[in-house]
Order: sequence, then C-alpha cells, then structure tokens
Amino acid sequence: MIHKLALRNLLRNKRRSSLTSVIIVFAFSMMILFMGLSDGGHKAMIDIGVRMGLGHIIVQHDSYSDDPALQHLIAEPEQLIAQIKQQHPTLTALTISGVQPNKESQVSAIADQKAIIAGKTLAQFTNDQHMQRLSGIVIGETLAKNLEVRIGDTVTITAKPASGADLARSAFMVAGIFKTGLHELDTFWAEVPLTSLQTLLEVPNYASQIALYSQANPETLAITTQQLKTSFSVYDVQPWQTAAPELYSAVTLDAAGMYLLMLIVYVVVAVGILNTVLMSTFRRQKEFGMMIALGSRASTVSKVVLLEAVYLSAFSLSIGLALGLWGHYHFATEGLNFKEVFGTAMEAGGVLLPEKFYSILDTSKLTLSVLFVFLLTIIVTLIPAIRAGHRSPLAATQDA
Amino acid sequence: MIKLTKINKIFADKHQSFHCLKDIDLSIDQGEFTVIAGPSGSGKSTLLNIMGMLDKPTSGNYLFDEKDVAQFSSNKLADIRRDKIGFVFQAYNLMPVLTALENTEMIMEFSGVSKKERKQRAIETLEAVGLGEFKNRFPAQLSGGQQQRVAVARAIAAKPLLVIADEPTANLDSQSTESLLDLMVSLNEKLGITFIFSSHDPRVIERAHRVIHLQDGKVMRDEQLADMSAGHPQAAMSS
Repeated sequence: MIHKLALRNLLRNKRRSSLTSVIIVFAFSMMILFMGLSDGGHKAMIDIGVRMGLGHIIVQHDSYSDDPALQHLIAEPEQLIAQIKQQHPTLTALTISGVQPNKESQVSAIADQKAIIAGKTLAQFTNDQHMQRLSGIVIGETLAKNLEVRIGDTVTITAKPASGADLARSAFMVAGIFKTGLHELDTFWAEVPLTSLQTLLEVPNYASQIALYSQANPETLAITTQQLKTSFSVYDVQPWQTAAPELYSAVTLDAAGMYLLMLIVYVVVAVGILNTVLMSTFRRQKEFGMMIALGSRASTVSKVVLLEAVYLSAFSLSIGLALGLWGHYHFATEGLNFKEVFGTAMEAGGVLLPEKFYSILDTSKLTLSVLFVFLLTIIVTLIPAIRAGHRSPLAATQDA
Repeated sequence: MIKLTKINKIFADKHQSFHCLKDIDLSIDQGEFTVIAGPSGSGKSTLLNIMGMLDKPTSGNYLFDEKDVAQFSSNKLADIRRDKIGFVFQAYNLMPVLTALENTEMIMEFSGVSKKERKQRAIETLEAVGLGEFKNRFPAQLSGGQQQRVAVARAIAAKPLLVIADEPTANLDSQSTESLLDLMVSLNEKLGITFIFSSHDPRVIERAHRVIHLQDGKVMRDEQLADMSAGHPQAAMSS
C-alpha cells in the first residue's frame, strides 16, 4: 500500500514530478558525459605529454634535477634499462636528450610520421644512414624557419664536452621537420641520435634521463614508481606528475573543474528532489494527519514520503544513466573532434590535445556517483519525511 | 468504555486563552448510539477529538476500556485508534490517490491483516454500505454522499469497538443523510458498534438513543432517549 501511495502521489502532480525528473535526467546525463570526456581528455593529455618525451616515469641522476650538467649523467644507461626491464617487463624504456631512433618510434609522438611535415623521422633517416655521411637531426617547424634551414641542409651543434676541453662541433643533416602545435617543442626542440650526441659531448655510454613508458593504470603506475624508487634509490625516480608539473597542474585543474560540475549536479539533484518533496508534503499536511489519526505509525508516513523521493530519484537516475551512457558510447567509439566543434585545437599543460579524443568512463567513479546521488536523495528527504510522520492527528480535522 | 472525569481543554497562545471544555464528566458504554449536540463553538469537536485520542485534555482524567489514556505513548495511541476506533470526518478525508476499495483496506493493512482477508472484508463492507459497484472508483469520481459512505466503510471495516463521527452529515443532502443514518443505526444494532456523533442536525439527533447537549464547553443536558440494554447487543466486536 505504501508503495502504491508513493507512486500515485508522484503521478498526482505530473507536471511537478516531470519537471524535477527532467532536471535530474539532464543534469545526471550531462555529468556522465562530461565525466567520460574529462577522463578521456586527461588520458589524451597525459599520453601526448609522455609521448612528447616526458615518459610516465623518469629516471635520472640524483643531482640532475638541481644541476642538469654533464657531470650528472647516468652511466651505462642500457645496463640500467635492462635491470629495470628485468623487474618491470611491461615498461618500455627510452633514453632521451639524444634519441635511440629505432626505439623512439614505440613511444614518442615526434617520431610519429604524422608529426613530420617534411622529410623523414629520425628512425627512417638512421636506417638509410649508410647512404648518408652525416647523422640526422629532426627539428621543429618554427626552429627550422628561424634557422632558415630545409630538408637536406646542414646544421652544426656546438657544445662544451664533458672533458672540459674547448667547444666541440658536430654537423647534422636536417632529416625531418616536425610540427606538434606546441610552441615550446616547435621552436626549441631538436632530436639527434643518442650516439652522435654522446660522441659530441664526450660522454659515451651516458644518458641524462631514462624515460619509462607504461600502459598500466594510474594506481599500478604509482606502485611501480614506488618500487623503482626503492630498488634504484641511488637515482632520482620521478613520476610524470613531478617531472611535468605544468601538465599535472593542467590535469588536476581540469579534474577540479569536473568535480565542481559534479558538485553542481549533486546540488541540482538535491534541490530538485527537496523542492518536490517539500511542495508535496506541504500540500498534504492534512493527509498525513489523517493517516496518523487512523492509526498509521509515524514511520509508515515517513516511509511513504521517502519512497516518493526514492522512486523519483531512481527513475530519473535510470533515464539519466541510460542517456549519459549512450552519449559516452558515442564519444567512446566516434570520439569528440575538438577542432571541428570549437574551431581550434586545445592546448593544456603545455600539451596540444589531439583533434579527436575519446570518452573514458571510470566504472567505480560512475557507480559511486550513482550511489551518492541516491544517498543524497534519501538524506535531503529525511527531515521532511520525519516531519510528515510527526504531524498531529488533529491535522486531519482541520481544513486543508 | 469511555469515562471522562473533570476534563478541561484550554487553547492558549501568548496573547489570549480560550477555555473550550469545562469540567466535563461523562461515561459512554459499549453499544451506545450517542449524539453530542450543541451550537458551533460549544466544544463538540474538541470533545470528540479527546475521546478519539486525537487531542489531549489540558486537565482531567480519561479512561478508555478502564485504562488511563494519559499513560499511553503516541505509538500506543496510534495502535488503539487503529484497532479500536473508527473515524468519520466531516470532510470525508479519503486518500485521493486510493480507490474506494483501497481506502477501505488501508487501516486493515496498518493492522497487518493479510491481503486476501482485508480485500474480502473491504469488499463486503463496501457492499454493506451500498458501494460494491463503485469499489474501483477514486474519491474524485464519487459524490459527497458516496465518499462519506466510503469513509464509514473505512471506519467499520477493521471492526472497531467505537466509531467517532464529527458532523458526518454536514455536507450531505437529505437523501444521503437519511441513507447514511440508516446505515449507522443498522451497524449499531447488528454489530453492536458504539457510535458517537457530533451534530446539531435534528435529523441525526432524532435517531440517537442518547443526546448530550453541550454549550460553552459544559454539559448542559444528558438525555437518554432509548433503553440501551433492550435493543442492542452488548457484545461489541473486537479486532
């Protein structure tokens, strides 16, 4: 009977119930949609960020962060990488600040043919090197313009070698020009084969940093980072969050925006339900009094009010969830073409997001959101429900 | 069944107080068909509310079935109202979202009567009040008289000891009033249910066996119009 009473009371004022339901459906489906796009965007940002050379985890000499000098390089990087891979076979390693061309393509976006707007990738050039007398260099588009060089031109890198001798010079042939859309990379970045740079700097078998790449989820990655810190305590092991604070801040800020949106949705749902319950209970004081007068326990009346909110919330959340998941499925399979929608690509945390990125939904986050909204419904309804149960039976004898 | 001793009820706020009932002493036995009569403002409804345990007296003693009502918790009072008292309100007070049948079943559900039994009893009761064919209609689809009959059906379906009716005919036309009174008299005679009305309707008063006249919160006259022991079964129904 109390279920019947609750359901029919909801249908009694169809307009009010429908309006509340529509608001909850809209807010909740939008929240799911934005949650998926936000997490998808974050993943894209992190992926692109690490593929631009950051790595998920960076291993470097203990003092390299404070003083990135040639005296603070990692000796025998290949040996270290082998040790790391022995412990963590799923990690992909790359020594950077000097590139191992054939390995780079596995992880770096600059090695991607799509980023190369002229010439070849360093790997392609290096593989054809038997035809070349010079090592290759891949440089950013703006840098190439500033230097007024084109494919096939020669650039000379001058550096002070580790021995402290006079400046050393080495010539490289422009193998490729890349464009990432990122000012920092396109204007100041160049990549050469690691061995060439080691020779130039007189640091054979040394590397400044080892960038490690992983497909693992953030939790596993954090554990792996911690394990590496313990196992290789003589080195400075940094997660990408520390190595790329700008990117981490951008992701965190964006996530905070998402949480703010979630908070707004929670408030909308709470206010919507509360408004409906308050309006409904306010107009039914006499009915509650009548139920009490006829011998209903206070708890029975409270249950009716609670059930109304639960039904309204459950119905609205189900529809909102279905719509939100439908939207998520669309963007998870088709992707959101940011440039197409907003007319420009988005840069965040020094990383240019891909034109298209895909929605990713964290099931546990979604489940928690649904449960939280449901719990919120009960919490905001609790006081009006208890008050309804404690109406005086005399209300039954008074005019409505 | 009901014994009121020195019952007073004072309604007061910061600015004024109103002494509504003054030292009411009253006993009502099982099986009585009693009308509390008096002009508006005489305290009829307040007295009924106290007897129906909807309100508490400011002072005085109320024994129901020889038990002191003042000692009961609000849940215990609710249980007594549910199991032993049926109410018929002036404004019908049916649940608008429930059909006539569901309204009649409602109190029995609160009492924990099984679904099958309460449905059967509700249908029988609605048929007894002449509304068998209207059982699936909602209150808004019934006339005033029919709604009041549903209210009576709801009041008696749970087989109470006592039915309290506050001006049950106030909103009814002559035909509906006569029909309702016939029904109540019949229930009183056949089932031994105690009826206490408040009314100043002469058609109600002339059908009563006892009339208690109230004026300005005092019992002015207590008329015994029929011999209760002669015509009515003494064994009331119990839940």
